[in-house]
Amino acid sequence: MSREETILKLKTIVKPYIQNEEAFESLTESTDFINDLKINSANLVDVILDIEEEYDIVIDNQSMERMLDVKSAMEIIETKLSEK
Amino acid sequence: MIGNDIVDLALAQKESNWKRKGFLDKIFTKNEQFQILNAQNPEIMVWNLWSRKEAAYKIYNRQTQIRGYFPLQLECFDLEIIDGITFGKVVIKEDIYFTKTAITPQFIHTIAVEDVLDFVKITTLENQKNILKNNGIPNYFEKESSVPRPTSISHHGRFEQIVMI
Repeated sequence: MSREETILKLKTIVKPYIQNEEAFESLTESTDFINDLKINSANLVDVILDIEEEYDIVIDNQSMERMLDVKSAMEIIETKLSEK
Repeated sequence: MIGNDIVDLALAQKESNWKRKGFLDKIFTKNEQFQILNAQNPEIMVWNLWSRKEAAYKIYNRQTQIRGYFPLQLECFDLEIIDGITFGKVVIKEDIYFTKTAITPQFIHTIAVEDVLDFVKITTLENQKNILKNNGIPNYFEKESSVPRPTSISHHGRFEQIVMI
């Protein structure tokens, strides 16, 4: 899967939880889930669970720690997919 | 050092489904899950424990400058109720924070401090006037030259709480 495809898919996953439409529209790899998209920290767990379901992967606690921005999420997805 | 967190219970109910598969496992330790599932009102216990973790995380983040999503590492202990206010501790690695939580039908609000005696030194602010953020961490300045006072801002749904020490 290309990076563009991953970003697009990730955008669909986070959309229900975002509270800053502008930052969402201009989302890039450096976009922060909490500071930029204003996702509630309790909803970050939903983003993580949605990613697990969508890609059929398990995000361990160590990976979850870094799950704060688009770039880290993409890296974690890629790593977990390659381990499958 | 201070941290605080408020949960608008009506909004939390709308935004989160704590019964969702995997939700509790990612956020709460086995002991905490036991407390939730055996509570009179499990949903209130979910947000009670969550607000403690969030309030404690804010101090931890201020002290260590470490930013991350590690709710399982912040474990809640020793909950007890004195005059309707619940007190407790949150432990992360070698650090212990003391928490004080008010539970109302509308919201749950936790204040976390490093020293239990600090609870009496807390001031609530009405607005964000004179508050400056550095690296996302807020401080209150009485005057431009004055010593910064650690401040914590929490906003959720209908509620905002600003506390300072």
